Amino acid sequence: MGILEEIRSRRVFFDGGTGSLLQAQGLKPGELPETWNLLHPERIVRLHLDYLDAGSDVLTTNTFGANRFKFKKEDGFSVKEIVTAAVKNARAAIRRAGHGFAALDLGPTGKLLRPYGELEFEDAVTAYKEVAEAGTKAGADLIIIETMGDSYEMKAAVLGAKEGSLLPVFATVTLDEKGKMLTGGGVEAVTALLEGLGVDGIGLNCGLGPIQLLPFVRQMASIASVPILVNPNAGLPRSQNGQTVYDIDSDAFAAAMQEIALAGASLLGGCCGTTPEHIRKMRAACEAIPLPEITDKERTVISSYSHAVTFGGRPVLIGERINPTGKPRFKQALRERDLTYILNVGAAQQESGADVLDVNVGLPGIDEPAVLEEVVKELQSVLDLPLQLDTSNPEAMERAMRCYNGKPLINSVNGKREVMEAVFPLVKRYGGVVVALCLDEAGIPKTADGRIEVAKKIYKTAASYGIGKKDILVDALCMAVSSDKNGALTTLETVRRVRDELGGKTVLGVSNVSFGLPMREHINAAFFLSALWNGLSAGIINPNSAAMMAVYDSFLVLTAQDENCGRYIAAYAEKEAEKKRERAEKAQRRSESGMAGAGNMPGPKGLAGGTGQPDVLVKAAGADGEFPELRRSILRGMPEAAGRAAEAALAAKDALELINKELIPALDEVGQGFEAGTVFLPQLLMSAEAAKAAFAVVKERLAADGSEQKKRGTVILATVKGDIHDIGKNIVKVLLENYSFEVMDLGRDVPPEEIVKAAVERHAPVVGLSALMTTTVPSMEATIAALHKDAPWVKIMVGGAVLTKEYADSIGADAYCKDAMASVNFASSVTESK
Amino acid sequence: METGRREALRYLGYGIGEADGEILKLLCECERELQETADCRFLMREFPLVFTEDGKVDGGCFQTDSKSLRKNLAGCERVLVLAATLGAGVDRLLARYGRLKVSKAVVLQAASAAMIEAYLNELCGGWRAEYEKKGLYLRPRFSPGYGDFPLACQPQLLGGLEAAKRIGITLTDSLLMLPSKSVTAVIGVGKTKEPCLLEGCEACGKKDCAYRR
Repeated sequence: MGILEEIRSRRVFFDGGTGSLLQAQGLKPGELPETWNLLHPERIVRLHLDYLDAGSDVLTTNTFGANRFKFKKEDGFSVKEIVTAAVKNARAAIRRAGHGFAALDLGPTGKLLRPYGELEFEDAVTAYKEVAEAGTKAGADLIIIETMGDSYEMKAAVLGAKEGSLLPVFATVTLDEKGKMLTGGGVEAVTALLEGLGVDGIGLNCGLGPIQLLPFVRQMASIASVPILVNPNAGLPRSQNGQTVYDIDSDAFAAAMQEIALAGASLLGGCCGTTPEHIRKMRAACEAIPLPEITDKERTVISSYSHAVTFGGRPVLIGERINPTGKPRFKQALRERDLTYILNVGAAQQESGADVLDVNVGLPGIDEPAVLEEVVKELQSVLDLPLQLDTSNPEAMERAMRCYNGKPLINSVNGKREVMEAVFPLVKRYGGVVVALCLDEAGIPKTADGRIEVAKKIYKTAASYGIGKKDILVDALCMAVSSDKNGALTTLETVRRVRDELGGKTVLGVSNVSFGLPMREHINAAFFLSALWNGLSAGIINPNSAAMMAVYDSFLVLTAQDENCGRYIAAYAEKEAEKKRERAEKAQRRSESGMAGAGNMPGPKGLAGGTGQPDVLVKAAGADGEFPELRRSILRGMPEAAGRAAEAALAAKDALELINKELIPALDEVGQGFEAGTVFLPQLLMSAEAAKAAFAVVKERLAADGSEQKKRGTVILATVKGDIHDIGKNIVKVLLENYSFEVMDLGRDVPPEEIVKAAVERHAPVVGLSALMTTTVPSMEATIAALHKDAPWVKIMVGGAVLTKEYADSIGADAYCKDAMASVNFASSVTESK
Repeated sequence: METGRREALRYLGYGIGEADGEILKLLCECERELQETADCRFLMREFPLVFTEDGKVDGGCFQTDSKSLRKNLAGCERVLVLAATLGAGVDRLLARYGRLKVSKAVVLQAASAAMIEAYLNELCGGWRAEYEKKGLYLRPRFSPGYGDFPLACQPQLLGGLEAAKRIGITLTDSLLMLPSKSVTAVIGVGKTKEPCLLEGCEACGKKDCAYRR
């Protein structure tokens, strides 16, 4: 009988700790336990036998740290040798005992994945695949991935295991006392991820003892649709005479494991500090407890690295703004690879209340698979919302799904055979909830009956791939009411019937309904509310629209989904107060002007940024320049005030002149203060950000007029290979942009070839390189040499903590810039001399 | 927990000067977000300490011929090896503002560096008191990178504590710790009380540093 049948027929027990027992046999601190598979195979076999004799059914091979980052052939042992020997040792013990399964053990790589660490996601997948292949070949019965603290590494491990082997895969994570993984995800997020990836069992191990794990096991059992495996430590560790000891004995462990079994765990074992004795007593205590029934919980759920979003309760808001359609500024950002702009569009939607972000980068002429992957990686490194991957390009969809850190929402599939054949295998492989459009080869059905039929067909086809109804969101489709007067009614009927007749979940792109009409927000908001009342599970909307959010927030209040109206009050109490203040101010002004009898009208509100100074735009030249508010808001680093002041100033002044006569002088003033030591770095940056806000307003005006500000040439910035400290580079970028340079930011840990390629393609006059570490300066030197060879015209400026003028000279740089202002000065000197 | 505001301002270049209102506001905001985000964890193990004939320091889980560490630990028979981190969430926060608002990222860098220092001071203060009850005295904490104590010892220190598995501290190829706001150190345990404990800046030989206290 295979392990999967075994675990459904009876309670199966894993083994316990390995490291602590090997230490007792003489393994030194820091010595790699995996080497003992080859150096002392008899001791490893003995340990396995002790566990089998104590009642373990499954042995975990001694391969926790057996990966290519720790073992290299040239250091003595290859990964393959270690893994093969380890599985052989387990098999030898099983043979001698006459029973048992060998679980190939995969632990964390010990390396942090990008973007926070250096390890490429695909390199992690390859490393795990290598171990899975070797272990399978050597005769393992199953694979156990364990002690994972990072959901992204977990995903890499599962993909590697499945791509290197056909064996059943179990996966357990380590939680802290708050129920979070090291990278922040909780039980719900990790359950969504692992079930999406199709593992055969999930669970928890290490980190905590059985008593602390109990509530998290209960939580997992309430949502999981697969068997649960729990391997706790022997309580919590403490240090005693320099040794790590655990605080509960085998009897207490066994008693606590009974609770774990009753809470819904099917498979039980131990981790650090547990011994054959713990396993023996646990087995005796738990064997008779009936297996929990494993049922499909029918949850429609997606996740990010940090949290899960479920469909079917509070309607889910999917922000639609990351999409170039009809947005010239967004298109420009995509073409220029201006990811910061896209990140800001995402961040703004999150602040407005979006639960999920739709990501669409489809634009003629761009490499959609590469760009979608890049944008997904960027978004998930900065924001914690789950993403909806929106593309009709199967290659783009697969690449984005693969690198996504969680279980994504996918937009979309439809009833066309060809599309289903392309999309469903991806959903099966990587996991996800997929939006299913109610259309097929025959087009969009005119009636709700027709759309329900398409939905049924999609459900049925999905099921044939092993994808349940729970992982489908039916998009009832919405036609513009301006072209089809019954469009909205048909859609609403479909939404209602998918819920009532099919028991399914629904989603709608809401904004389409108002196409071709004036004041579209009216129609959108009314339609959104109607759809919510008809049971819509999720709306793809613009969360920055006050009208849409007002409808949504009100709906939650009216349907008893907003406890004590708390959400509503939090969102609107301040607005109400503001309204009252405005009314009072207006009344006050009316009475004052009545008394003074003159039109002493104040300027736009809030220009002084709440400093108590009068909100008056004084139009008089002087020390403060022509527009004192603009200058002051830049000097004091207030972006919103600067934007408003620029807006007001544009009424009186030409855009280019405003840049040259007002913005640049204000920036220069701050820069000079910084150089003189009277202005500090954070102030310099706050001013730069305020100036940026003003520039944005001015540039919009220029664009509207069909003209543009002359750029001062391209500067390529990069933090060199091997170095991941990029804050200095980011600071330089902000300032250069202010001074009208076109900045191409290549990021951090950038190899020389990539920098050379960019310099050549753009024929950039200036390249700026940063490095923080002494250890990465050689990499800077190599980059400079490569640039000198292939882009001899380039002037290279360098900066970073370890550099000095002398050091910079010695590695061939043209300039050492001690700070961001020095970089601006150097880049200006190069471009002006041309 | 103490966040070390004075230290944060020093890292920002203010020395002993005062920052203006906007910067202080930003610093408070950063401190608040850090308090919410930081997941402070530490590991500490005591090891026997041996000074070998050939001039090496053997601290149980690490060996080095660092002269400055030898001086720091002179007269001790045991050594505490420790690692502490603010966790991965702080790196995410730093990355987020590094992309969305650099001025805040700079202040956050300073505030988080000050926070991990404050955390270590708090931990060490506790151990110092604990050991004094046993008649033992702790020397100033000494980290790889101080003097000639090489970063090459990082894998041994972290390995001896199982820091990757237990609190998630990993190393890059160039031996930097990730999460970035992490510290490893050793502390000598001696039977005699040292007259004056010099730590941090005061113990450093570089007298012309812009960030010196």
